[in-house]
Amino acid sequence: MAALEGRHPTTAILLAVALLVGCGRNEPPEPDRLEPGATTVEVQDAEGRVVAFVSPPERIVSLVPSATHTLIELGVSDHLVGRTEYDTTAALAGLHSVGGGLHPTLEILVALEPDLVVRFAGQTDLETPARLDDLGVAHLAVAPESVADTKGMILDLGRIVGRQGRATALVETIDSVLADIRLRVASLEPVRVAWVVGGDPPWVSGPGTYIDDLLSVAGGQNVFGDLGRLWAATSLEALFARHPDLVLTAEGSGLDPRISPRIPVRRVSPIVSLPGPDLPRAATEIAEALRPGLFEGP
Amino acid sequence: MSFRAKDLRVHYPGADRPALDDVTMEVPEGSLYAVLGPNGSGKSTLMRGLMGLIPPASGSASLEGKPISSWDRRTLARTVGAVPQNETIAFPLKVRELVAMGRYPHLGPLSPERATDREAVERALERCDAAKLGDRDIGTLSGGEIQRVRIARALAQEPRVLALDEPTASLDVRHEMAILELLKRSVAQGITVLLITHHLDLAGRFANRLLLLADGHVAAEGSPSEVLRADTLSDVYGWPVAVRPDPITGSPRVTPLDGPPPQAPLS
Amino acid sequence: MKRPLLAGSLLAALPLAVLLAVRFGPEPMTTGEVIQGLAGRGSETTVYIIRELRLPRALLSIIVGGGLALAGATFQALLRNPLAEPYILGISGGAAAGAVAVISLGLATASTWLLPFAAFGGALVAIFLAFRVAAAADRRLDVRVLLLAGVVVGAFFTAVLAFLLAISEATEVQDAVWWMMGDLSGATWRKVVLAAVYTLPAAGVLLGLSRALNVMAIGEETALYLGVHAERVKRLAFGVGSFVTAAGVAVAGVIGFVGLIVPHAIRILVGSDHRWLLPLSFLGGAVFLTLADLAAQLVLAPSVIPVGVVTAFVGVPIFLVLLRRSLTG
Repeated sequence: MAALEGRHPTTAILLAVALLVGCGRNEPPEPDRLEPGATTVEVQDAEGRVVAFVSPPERIVSLVPSATHTLIELGVSDHLVGRTEYDTTAALAGLHSVGGGLHPTLEILVALEPDLVVRFAGQTDLETPARLDDLGVAHLAVAPESVADTKGMILDLGRIVGRQGRATALVETIDSVLADIRLRVASLEPVRVAWVVGGDPPWVSGPGTYIDDLLSVAGGQNVFGDLGRLWAATSLEALFARHPDLVLTAEGSGLDPRISPRIPVRRVSPIVSLPGPDLPRAATEIAEALRPGLFEGP
Repeated sequence: MSFRAKDLRVHYPGADRPALDDVTMEVPEGSLYAVLGPNGSGKSTLMRGLMGLIPPASGSASLEGKPISSWDRRTLARTVGAVPQNETIAFPLKVRELVAMGRYPHLGPLSPERATDREAVERALERCDAAKLGDRDIGTLSGGEIQRVRIARALAQEPRVLALDEPTASLDVRHEMAILELLKRSVAQGITVLLITHHLDLAGRFANRLLLLADGHVAAEGSPSEVLRADTLSDVYGWPVAVRPDPITGSPRVTPLDGPPPQAPLS
Repeated sequence: MKRPLLAGSLLAALPLAVLLAVRFGPEPMTTGEVIQGLAGRGSETTVYIIRELRLPRALLSIIVGGGLALAGATFQALLRNPLAEPYILGISGGAAAGAVAVISLGLATASTWLLPFAAFGGALVAIFLAFRVAAAADRRLDVRVLLLAGVVVGAFFTAVLAFLLAISEATEVQDAVWWMMGDLSGATWRKVVLAAVYTLPAAGVLLGLSRALNVMAIGEETALYLGVHAERVKRLAFGVGSFVTAAGVAVAGVIGFVGLIVPHAIRILVGSDHRWLLPLSFLGGAVFLTLADLAAQLVLAPSVIPVGVVTAFVGVPIFLVLLRRSLTG
């Protein structure tokens, strides 16, 4: 078979022998070469890799919903050539789906011939970056956990796609809305609150998530601020024992019915679940939920 | 001399008494040697010990003068056709395939069956009156038919010795007699037969020598009339019996008598 | 069914299955593009998809599917139990615990090979423990004791796994669950060669034990009387069968049903002589997994369903049909 001639079997056999003796190595990708006189944009992604772009990418696939939303807000939805199963907005409806954001169907992703893939940072899916490295396709790992991370992501994406101005504007809006909310609640007593995602056992936000950031900006005190992790499953017992004044959750999430009889529950719209350019709206909704009537009046 | 045990002691791990306790016996070549005894007296253990399946705690077992532990497994399998009491046939198998396993000791792991092997299988099936069963699936056979097939497998090994653990246990009179007459014919053709059985009368009729075990000891060894005695048997089996010569065959016939009266309850 | 007929059919089905798995995939292509891709011509993307994604995946399915079916048939003979399957010595639990430990410790990014090696190592630890537990109870490795030991060791590792998942981040949990359901999408040429190096010699050894396994399937006492070194055969066959299974789990996760159903189906069709059962199980498992993986990719494209789901959904009805046939025919 013609396909088996050539370098694959020999190299592969030698590699297999080497593996039997030691471990394989991950080879770091080579950054794009610098053309003399051109302005190369270099970004350090959430995994610490430096990704360089000689010119803005024109075929982008984003596997991360918040990054996708950011790219749309930055005005480059024309350059999006694929979507994930979870991207249901009308703007993306006509695009090919690559399956899940984690473990996308490689064949379809590769066939879209992207020049930038935005993916989740972390070791959840190691196959995708390895394959993209094989093909020399640039990929950017993002991890919009906190508000600071999210602002950083917006700015980085803005630089990469050549929309720095728009990105800066989005971030400034976030800053000003958050500052305004901080001002309004400055002199008020903190509200003890828990953000519950739902489920059985219930998952809650700990410190360091953007939800936690928004809660403290809005004058709330996350009763799970001492959680060792960003998100964790906890027990109803722990929830009740911490005496939150309020439980916040997104609309449509399935909360354990034993919570609402004991603790007031308020729901905010699902946009809160997506850290990105909608942070100002999310922050406002959360602040409103924490103290109804905060934004009325003079 | 065929099988021989000298002061053989076999102790299963965790048991409080040995299964075989200083057993000495000898199977003369070319004889039909029957091993008798109550349940748990060590009959099956003796066969396993003689075949080298269990290392003895003390004493020795040998075959044709050589210690059994020095026999190579495959050579032993070409010499002795042994059929244990129980086998689980968990998967569908044809009769001929089961009998053909008797030829494995004569074949290497990958060598194909030869014409001589196929002939040996057919001969074995014929001698056990199982030739018609050749293409049947084992799962469809009756208890008696399976027994005959297993004996056929042992015969297919073309052994000098047959060792059978209760081969007629679930057979009706016709099949039991057919097997015993087959064994008698085999002995006439020069094969030595070690037969474990609990059927006292038939052992007395067909065997040349008997061994009577009790609690792992030898209670008696010798000719049928020497071993099948009322006092010995009553003592070993814990039940009163009488022994008379059978009016038709002349061999010793054991008749169980009425049991002792039940013990009066303590008042 | 006549044995040569089934053998011929499976030998013909094997390259056919590979061809189908290369021709079809989540990304629609014309036959011409596929052929070009195989030859190394056409766009770089097409060539990559055909030669680096589809072809190694198909070959890995063959090796893993064949190995699992072979191990399943071997264990069924050794344990004299039709319910035996490749993971019965706690292998799936050990492998999953090894893999998830690496994920939880955040080490998986260190090297793409760390995860498969950890899975392999976990599987070997489970096998070792199962043998030790069984030997402690009974030096002679009674297969019923070994079976129980395997169940206990497997349960232990499942508990370890549950603990690791409880302390993991949400995304790690999702990834672990995905891995455990079996996934061939990580197939690379290196993995194919590695799997082949581990599986094919082992398959050779097991095929050589065919006659011995025939007799072991009747009983160990009978096996000894027929000249088989039962203890040696047991240790060798269990060891090699477990090794093949561990290698399969390391590269493809825990794919169920192949090792249980394929040997049974072959047995129903051509009987229990392992000289036919083992090679035909290998071929059957290879074809079955390749086609199941193709279906797993296509049914809900672009989403992929775990291949273990397809092997169950497809395997069980086929098996029931064959079972009815064998009971009435």
